[in-house]
Amino acid sequence: MAGLASMSQFPLLRALGAAGGTAVSPGFRFADVTSSAGIQFQHNSGAFGGKFLPETLGSGCAFLDYDRDGWQDILLINGMDWPGHKRRRSTLRLYHNNRNGTFTDVTSRAGLDLEMYGMGVAVGDYDNDGFPDILITCVGQNRLFHNTGKGTFTEVTAASGLGKRLSFSTSALWFDYDRDGLLDLFVCNYVKWSPEHDVFCSLDGKHKSYCTPEAYRGETCWLFHNRGNGTFEDVTAASGIFDSSSKSLGVAMLDDSHAGFPDLLVANDTQPNKLYRNQHNGTFKDAAVELGLAFSSEGRARAGMGVDVGDFRNSGHPGIAITNFDNEMTGLYEFSGKTYEDVAAQAGIGLASKNSLGFGCSFLDVNLDGWLDLAVANGHIDETVRNIRGNVGYAQPPQMFLNNGNGNFREVATELGGGFDGPKVGRGLAYADFDRDGDLDLLLTTNNGSAYLYRNDQLGGNRSIRFRLVGTKSNRDAIGAVVHIVSGGLAQSRMVKTGSSYLSQSELPLTFGLEKRDRVDQVVINWPSGRAEEFKNLTPGRCYECIEGKGIAAQDGF
Amino acid sequence: MYPRGVPRSPSPERSPTLGLLLGLIVTLAAVLAYSAYITWQVEGLRRLQSDLIDRDRKDSLQLLRIQNDLNLLAVAMRDMIDNDEPYPLTAWAAQFQRLHTDLDDAMHLEAGLAPTTRTPEQNASLSSSLKQFWDAVDRVFALAGGGREKDARQQIQLSLQARQEAMSTTVARLLVQNSDNEQQAAQRIIQIYDRVQRQVYVFLGATLAAILLTGFSMIRWNRRLFARMAELSERRSELAQKLIATQESTLRYISRELHDEFGQILTAMGAMLGRAGTHAPEGSDLRNDLLEVRQIAQDTLERVRSLSQALHPVMLDEAGLETTLDWYIPTIERQTGIAISYEKQGAPFAVGGSAAVQIYRVLQEALNNVARHSGEKQVWIRLRFRPATLELEVEDHGVGFNGRPAKQGIGLVAMRERAELMKGEIAFSIPAAGGTLLRLIVPRENIELRVKEQI
Repeated sequence: MAGLASMSQFPLLRALGAAGGTAVSPGFRFADVTSSAGIQFQHNSGAFGGKFLPETLGSGCAFLDYDRDGWQDILLINGMDWPGHKRRRSTLRLYHNNRNGTFTDVTSRAGLDLEMYGMGVAVGDYDNDGFPDILITCVGQNRLFHNTGKGTFTEVTAASGLGKRLSFSTSALWFDYDRDGLLDLFVCNYVKWSPEHDVFCSLDGKHKSYCTPEAYRGETCWLFHNRGNGTFEDVTAASGIFDSSSKSLGVAMLDDSHAGFPDLLVANDTQPNKLYRNQHNGTFKDAAVELGLAFSSEGRARAGMGVDVGDFRNSGHPGIAITNFDNEMTGLYEFSGKTYEDVAAQAGIGLASKNSLGFGCSFLDVNLDGWLDLAVANGHIDETVRNIRGNVGYAQPPQMFLNNGNGNFREVATELGGGFDGPKVGRGLAYADFDRDGDLDLLLTTNNGSAYLYRNDQLGGNRSIRFRLVGTKSNRDAIGAVVHIVSGGLAQSRMVKTGSSYLSQSELPLTFGLEKRDRVDQVVINWPSGRAEEFKNLTPGRCYECIEGKGIAAQDGF
Repeated sequence: MYPRGVPRSPSPERSPTLGLLLGLIVTLAAVLAYSAYITWQVEGLRRLQSDLIDRDRKDSLQLLRIQNDLNLLAVAMRDMIDNDEPYPLTAWAAQFQRLHTDLDDAMHLEAGLAPTTRTPEQNASLSSSLKQFWDAVDRVFALAGGGREKDARQQIQLSLQARQEAMSTTVARLLVQNSDNEQQAAQRIIQIYDRVQRQVYVFLGATLAAILLTGFSMIRWNRRLFARMAELSERRSELAQKLIATQESTLRYISRELHDEFGQILTAMGAMLGRAGTHAPEGSDLRNDLLEVRQIAQDTLERVRSLSQALHPVMLDEAGLETTLDWYIPTIERQTGIAISYEKQGAPFAVGGSAAVQIYRVLQEALNNVARHSGEKQVWIRLRFRPATLELEVEDHGVGFNGRPAKQGIGLVAMRERAELMKGEIAFSIPAAGGTLLRLIVPRENIELRVKEQI
């Protein structure tokens, strides 16, 4: 470790180390199982030539266990044709996991066969009934669906108090910011846009093209407090979240101050990013500028798209990834004591991401070596980009940055198989262990195209351990809980969280890679309620269900 | 005999060192002076750049930041007046607070960077406007907080927007002023560059002149030096040739004297002693003594003849080189005990006169060297009559030049001079088996010329 510590003083050496990574096998392969799993999804952006801004930005996806059978199901968000340009019917799709590697489309059966211009999704059990509910962010009215627990959903948008709000919402997340045991809702809004107020933008002066957000006024994000009776109260202004200049696309929760109260990081497009620090009194204060997260290291507001938070240095403090526009590197922020420092260039991510436009991004230990890797979905917003910038395509390969454990990342997309590195107009990205083999599989959505399900097949025999948390005093989903484990001298931490990535949500259970370690010496769970629990000597290779205050129970397998 | 234009006896020349040294000093001084000048100019440029332009640009960046914040305030105020958000006006308080903090920071930084051309009134104007603006903002939020949203909106329109516009105009003017300052500084930089450029030409001209002067002076001195060296070499050669000629004529004279005078005397003495002997009684001591004396005279005669031949073989003058060598080689073989392999090639032509003497002497010196230095008892002599040249080779496989004392005797010098006399070439090399190979090549025309001279 002394060697690594001394090396960390030399960013150039680290960069060289990252650049000159040895051709070690990634340790896993991807198999494209989209068709064989029975997922036949086609995103409808509604594009008819009018070049409406929302067309190029959707849409997201989620892994959720809506029927609580322990198997992760899939939700794919969809757009629709614009009014006056109706050609076909398109709805979101809910796929039920058949527990054998295949899925069944249960959209109609679940009562979700509804048309809407959907963008993103946030899944959370806001009424603590044990079944996850779904918020779909839309262009127009956002929709909240309550899970009946019988395999169906009922729309409660109006009843919950979320109705009568037209906007261009993007990412959203559920979190319990006041630690009252009830999940509150945070929604990102992009710009003030409607088909009636669409602005004409053009790259060549003749043909309409998609506008950049500068052409539109910003729109504040929303914060809704859960009253506990199935309704929500808009506390956007009272909480200090209100900011009419924001053009937000991604949001992630983190406990930046280690106080047990969740903070929020919002990625803004062409506007400074925001880090809303929880003041523990129901209000937030933006600390992004002083923490070094608002602007790029050159002092410019970048085009923030997706965002994720993860302890990728295993330091116990979360690091941050923010995807940006092409010609802007992905931001990889490491906490340096008082502020965050963008280490993307030194870590081997900066240059590799410079010519791609990133959207969805997720920290996940894809090769189960105990270090969080970074997956990124890329794709441009303009089909004609190649005419203007020859080295940038509309469809772009997703990227997989493997964490070498020393602060350096190596891009390995081409080595993963399954067509993962094929160019796609990527947008949403989520992960889950849908086949319960202990490793994390990827779900990727594309704009006006298919969704892709990549099954992760481990090659090196690395082990893992999974935790499914159930809150009692805390919110039932335990969102905001932080799990620390120590195994064979390696300490790791993960937070149970919604949001992150772009318009998407990954599964709630936590997966820790252990490489070849055969024992987890210590597990500490910090519940959102403030309670801390410790467990010792757990055996990897299975999933543990932890019920707040009631101990831990090993499941059969994952 | 002497190169054209060079005086036969040049007057003692002044040493060029002083002139060259002076040239060098002048050139170095010019370089140093110019370096100092350039350093001074660059320093000035740097000062101008950091004091004026960089500071100006940093100031402009802060002004742009202030302008941007003012614009964001304008946008926020527009949103507040539009009243299309479902939130009270107080919702904007946090946004205003963020901008307030940022503006304060930007104003603080800007004050430290403000160009010296800025008047104190200008500085005070903006900060006091800003203070008044924030006071007005506080009043607006106080009104809004008190539920008087309509009044607050009116205040925004009447007071805040106007103040914001005024400040925006002030900042824009400051930016223009900075831009003017930058242009002026750029103009001054251009002037400095022009001045430096002119000085560069002057310096280059001066340096070129100094280099040319020094160069011409060196060429002149070199030419004189070479002429002098050539003349000295010529004179040395002339002297050596005269010495050789004197030596040859002396040796020829002594040789003839020995042969003719002492030879006849000794011959006469022998004949007389022979005759005297016949008068002495047979078997008497006198007769025996006389015969013995006659024998001594005879031996002396032989030695005198031999010495005469050695000093200057008369044969050379009478029978030419080829015949002389036919006699000389077996003789020297006997005298020194060196086995000589002598070989003649080509169609012989007459080699006599001065050329025969010189070639003979070269051979004689070479064989002497072998006998004295090589430690070798075998020598190969090759005489080649070629159509245009006569070639003499003397080869031994002894110690060669490497084994001999570093300082060469007069013999080698003499050999070169003799070759020179015949306009021939002499070369010494090391054969594959080691030792020394001497090769003398004399143009036939020079040999024949010298034969004719003789005739």
